[in-house]
Amino acid sequence: MAINQPSDNLPLADVLRAANDLVTAKLIEDWALGGALAAIYYVEPFTTYDADIFFIPTDKGLTAGIPTIYAHLHAQGWRVEREHLMVRGFPVQFLAAHGLTEEAVREAERIEYDGESAKVFQAEHIIAIAASVGRAKDKVRIEQLLQQADVDKSRLETILKRHKLKLPTV
Amino acid sequence: MKVEMRQKLAREPFAEKIRKVAQLIRLAKTFPRRAARPRPAAKPDFTR
Repeated sequence: MAINQPSDNLPLADVLRAANDLVTAKLIEDWALGGALAAIYYVEPFTTYDADIFFIPTDKGLTAGIPTIYAHLHAQGWRVEREHLMVRGFPVQFLAAHGLTEEAVREAERIEYDGESAKVFQAEHIIAIAASVGRAKDKVRIEQLLQQADVDKSRLETILKRHKLKLPTV
Repeated sequence: MKVEMRQKLAREPFAEKIRKVAQLIRLAKTFPRRAARPRPAAKPDFTR
């Protein structure tokens, strides 16, 4: 199936394959799935409208190599719509990782999904990142993860302390 | 939904959960939330 033929299913395997290809092409060093889809790895499914791929750039310049990454994927048939790359009608955002998110990429859990190897942020990092962003939906995400995921509380405390973060009061 | 039910859903395989996310997206597209219509201002009652 052509890369931009709309699909009824969520084209996550295509997204993961593309991220792995970027490593092979040496455009990025490493990557992991973050955002809502990473949270869904640990909690009940909920509606989300995009995938967030956090990457450690090979290009340490100001743009983190994003124009080259987008051009590479565009050449493979991905459409660009504002800040998103579209695969089968599903928006994907490639975000350069730094600080807390870079740590999350480096310590992410290795998984297999539909024959593709991938990395997913660990629950403790998703909580810490949500605490650092602090929107209403991040507070919901923190609550969901604390209720439904097997969170290592002492690891979470260490991460929060290292990045000078606190869990929001609900 | 009960907490136990939600925890049960959370423990499903990732691929199954991703299938459910796709279903939720389709449902949301089929039945989009309508923005609440502004209520017309109440007409003054001059009969009183």
